[in-house]
Amino acid sequence: MNGWTLAATVGLAGGLGTALWGVATGPLRRRVVAQNLATALACPAMLLLAQGYGRPAYVDLGLVLALLGPVGTLVFARLLADELAEDPPRAWVATWAVAALGAVTVIALCVATGPSRAMAKLLVIGALLIGGNVIASRALAGGFRRVGRG
Amino acid sequence: MTRRTALLAAAELLAWWAALAVLWLFLISTVYTLEFVVGVAAAGLGALTACAARRAVTER
Repeated sequence: MNGWTLAATVGLAGGLGTALWGVATGPLRRRVVAQNLATALACPAMLLLAQGYGRPAYVDLGLVLALLGPVGTLVFARLLADELAEDPPRAWVATWAVAALGAVTVIALCVATGPSRAMAKLLVIGALLIGGNVIASRALAGGFRRVGRG
Repeated sequence: MTRRTALLAAAELLAWWAALAVLWLFLISTVYTLEFVVGVAAAGLGALTACAARRAVTER
């Protein structure tokens, strides 16, 4: 076990564990936010594991999570639009905290990788992760109500 | 379609193609000829789809 795998383990156990608890308990507005943050927490952990095991191909798992996680949340935001409109979730502190965690992880990995195509790939994943997370949170909070009504 | 709109559409397609091809080259691990050809072809398909999707969203 090295520092990267240790950080990934802490992220998976602490962050993803908390998110799963949030998904399983409480009102709907807390569950959807926790569902959104679960993928945003798992993605940096996958990137850290790829670095820890020295297998750059594992980074693709993080890429897929960063891309499909927010898409899944948008599906929930669309399907649960009526329920969420009555009791909209407001979780900007949690959203930005998880976004900052993702940014710190990507920056640390970029420093470890050094300037190369692999670093550009990490930056693309980081942008997808943070941008997707923030957009999905805004959709859950009712920020795109006009679009949701089609 | 006038000459101006045709030029604009071609420019949009080329821009999508270039951006998607660059993205492909960033995301693969090793660049060799076959990978490059597949990437350029896939980026071309993606560019056509992206143009059609943008038109479907903006021209309704």
